[in-house]
Amino acid sequence: MPRRPSAARIAEQGASGERRATRLVEHGAAASTTDSSDGHRAQAAPVAVFDNVSVTYPDGTEALRGVTATVEAGSYVCVIGGNGSGKSTFAQLFNALIVPTGGSARIFGIDTADENRLLDIRSRAAMVFQHPDDQMVTSIVADDIAFGPENLALPQPEIARRVEESLRAVGLSDLAQADPADLSGGQKQRVAIAGAFALRPDLLILDEPAAMLDVRGRRGIRRVCRELNELGITIVHVTHFMDDVLEADRVLVLNQGRLVLDGAPAEVFSHEHEVRELNLDLPLPLQLCEELEKRGLTVPHLADDDQLAAALAAAAPRARTSPAPDPRSHKAAAVDRSLRAPLDAQAAIEFENVSFSYAAPAAKHRRGLLARLRPRRAPQSPSPSGPWALRNVSFSLKPGTLTALIGHTGAGKSTVIELACALKMPTNGSVRVGGILTTDLERRRELRRAIGYVSQSPERQLFAETVYDDVAFGPRNLHLGEAEVEQRVREALATVRLDLAAIGGRSPFSLSGGQQRGVALAGVLALRPQILVLDEPMAGLDPAGRKRTVELLDRLRSQGTTILLVTHSMDDAAALADSVLVLDHGALALEGTPEEIFSQEEELHRIGLGAPGPTLLADKIRAAGLGLAGMPLTLSALADGVASVLAPRKEGGARGAAR
Amino acid sequence: MALRVSVGQYYSADSPIHELDPRTKVALTLVYMVSCFFVANPAMLALSGAFVFAAIAASRVPVRLLLRSVRTIMFFLVFTSVFNLFFVQTGQVLLEVGPATFTYDGVWAAALYTLRFLFLLLMGALLMCTTTPIALTDAAEDLLAPLARLGVPVHDAALIMSIALRFVPTLSREAENIVAAQTARGADLENKGPLAYARACVPLVVPLFASALRHAENLGRAMDARCYVGGARRTRFHVMSFVPARDGVAVAGVFLYLAGLAALGTLL
Repeated sequence: MPRRPSAARIAEQGASGERRATRLVEHGAAASTTDSSDGHRAQAAPVAVFDNVSVTYPDGTEALRGVTATVEAGSYVCVIGGNGSGKSTFAQLFNALIVPTGGSARIFGIDTADENRLLDIRSRAAMVFQHPDDQMVTSIVADDIAFGPENLALPQPEIARRVEESLRAVGLSDLAQADPADLSGGQKQRVAIAGAFALRPDLLILDEPAAMLDVRGRRGIRRVCRELNELGITIVHVTHFMDDVLEADRVLVLNQGRLVLDGAPAEVFSHEHEVRELNLDLPLPLQLCEELEKRGLTVPHLADDDQLAAALAAAAPRARTSPAPDPRSHKAAAVDRSLRAPLDAQAAIEFENVSFSYAAPAAKHRRGLLARLRPRRAPQSPSPSGPWALRNVSFSLKPGTLTALIGHTGAGKSTVIELACALKMPTNGSVRVGGILTTDLERRRELRRAIGYVSQSPERQLFAETVYDDVAFGPRNLHLGEAEVEQRVREALATVRLDLAAIGGRSPFSLSGGQQRGVALAGVLALRPQILVLDEPMAGLDPAGRKRTVELLDRLRSQGTTILLVTHSMDDAAALADSVLVLDHGALALEGTPEEIFSQEEELHRIGLGAPGPTLLADKIRAAGLGLAGMPLTLSALADGVASVLAPRKEGGARGAAR
Repeated sequence: MALRVSVGQYYSADSPIHELDPRTKVALTLVYMVSCFFVANPAMLALSGAFVFAAIAASRVPVRLLLRSVRTIMFFLVFTSVFNLFFVQTGQVLLEVGPATFTYDGVWAAALYTLRFLFLLLMGALLMCTTTPIALTDAAEDLLAPLARLGVPVHDAALIMSIALRFVPTLSREAENIVAAQTARGADLENKGPLAYARACVPLVVPLFASALRHAENLGRAMDARCYVGGARRTRFHVMSFVPARDGVAVAGVFLYLAGLAALGTLL
């Protein structure tokens, strides 16, 4: 993955480099000794120097302790660490949003404690935050991007020029007049980056910009970051994702407020045990190396997928390197729809020719927010005034299975959830939950008992004074006795690995983010639903939190709960699901087992969805010349496959593949 | 989504009304609205109606859309006009039904109050439909600039307005999500008594409030990061300019209308 700019590229950008150099002089930064004739940006003074920095919040929390680091101009730095490691605080040191309570932070040679020079720092150190919605001040994209330049009191023609350039830099020129509310999360985040870029910063700080985005959105952010870095902008990128880290020149790893590892990605990840102990993921190629070692193979530890593929191919016995036929060509192209039980009365959730339009009857708008939850018994209109959110969708979920629902923003995933949970009624067709029609008002209470709904960022629905009361909200609505309620609260909290005695009396708002999500999940589990619908339960969690959630889902399924999981992670869909539903523009594009779905590479590509990480890595290994059979969807399946080629005798000793 | 329809009602079209300097539009709309209160006879009513519908025709905004946006308030108008119908008892008696007497003055008062208020509202709605919220706040800020010298934080107020408009769709979507989540947990939001209803609303209001606070905190930080300093000099991306050939014509049109209205008022 070469990401260094070629000589030609640097020459191309020489002009902007010069402009930047003059800019440094303009600002009169104390340490600006930029040598532009040399053309090498590594020669510039460090962008940031942290000397023994500590940050203690007024409530006594020690966010950072004794951090010492220097960030060179033009570098691309990733900051990683689990939840509560102090990453966010660290990021905000770079533009003086947070000032050290101990030690000193100098940005562009300016001490951040000097309040008179805050603007000198912030006009050159722009920042993009996690939640795109919370960074926009106006309802038009172009106007929002203009906000920063307006604050710098630049002349109007210059503002107009910068708005245009910034939009172009993030590839959103077509959406200049759009309302941010109509954009996808990834687009919004690119608008935020454009707003930061409009300040013409020397340093761009990104605090988990892709935490809530799908793979495509994340890739877009990564590409924009790389391009901006090639323009000479120093990038500081706080992230949970290891594929982001591999883009960087340098990785800083924080743990409990301390800087514990610092170096190039390959160097940092060579400390595998430390990284594991910090509850962080390793990049997939290194995870594969670990798995292969467990299977008794000795392989070089390489974080780069291409290098590892080449090394594995080189290690293979000669006879084994002949290219094996691509397993995908043998797969039947069409999904076997006969697998679907027709009109199965026992289906947990069943959609029959369901269509839905938000614009449907005009009368709906006149009603209030709450009234809209009431089912409409009105005759179903065959053609609504607006576009269909769902068109003719039919599927049924077998009890006790886990189904992953995948698709892009706007594909109709949320609508499926709303219909399944009887929060909206279908415009056409019918939805049954446990055999009950969602339009059947008399059995509504029964339906609500059967199905549990975990919304996206469920911690945002917490409301009660204590954790106990919040989790008890559902059971109390079922009018259960207080003893039964307590039993359920205890059990639900235990399921999410929280202890009632320890946190039951605390305010849910005083808990950490991860604990809040646990409490919110417990609030739904306390209803003991036979069917559970979850909307992106892994979004925004760190690797440890993701692992916990995966374990929880596995456990619930083994207890017989039917699960419908909306996810934008192909890896999760491949590793967890019994079956997969793929939505595209409101229609059901594909359905089947993960193997069936992910073998339809072309169709997925057309929809804009990728393959799971292990499958992609397997492709690279195969392309490098290792005759790998089958299509591994999970890491352990991939490791088994590689192991069987490299050391066929040991196959028997290998752990059983997940699938 | 429902909220969005009523607040962000900008209707994009290519028309002379859309192109007017927003300051001209805001000022002239206010002048027209005030003029509506001086309408006192049928001829004036006809003139004022003709003017607003001419403006609507020029703007290419569908009348249906405008009527829909004033629908809710029209309900109250009809209510007050019925009030007039029953309580104005002077003038020639037109109809007697049991104890109720309908007089000429009563019917006229009902029609006058309803129609002139409808015209006023339509003109207001037209302003909203032909001007983006940003342009509106910019115009308001500019027109109120003299107040800034008296220490009124005009600029901050305009920015707050713009942010409020920006967060309407965000908060309304969150409200819907919270309602959905709590309903799925069995919250009964259709209780009858007011006390029970208030209690049922706690699980909705508290998270929404927490969410608004979280947005405010994050937004404040993001604005700091983008070099916003309250009260400092800023420049503007959109430059507003008064073009005589365009805005002058509009001003002249409104003055002609006012002159006509005054003439009809004194003659009749």
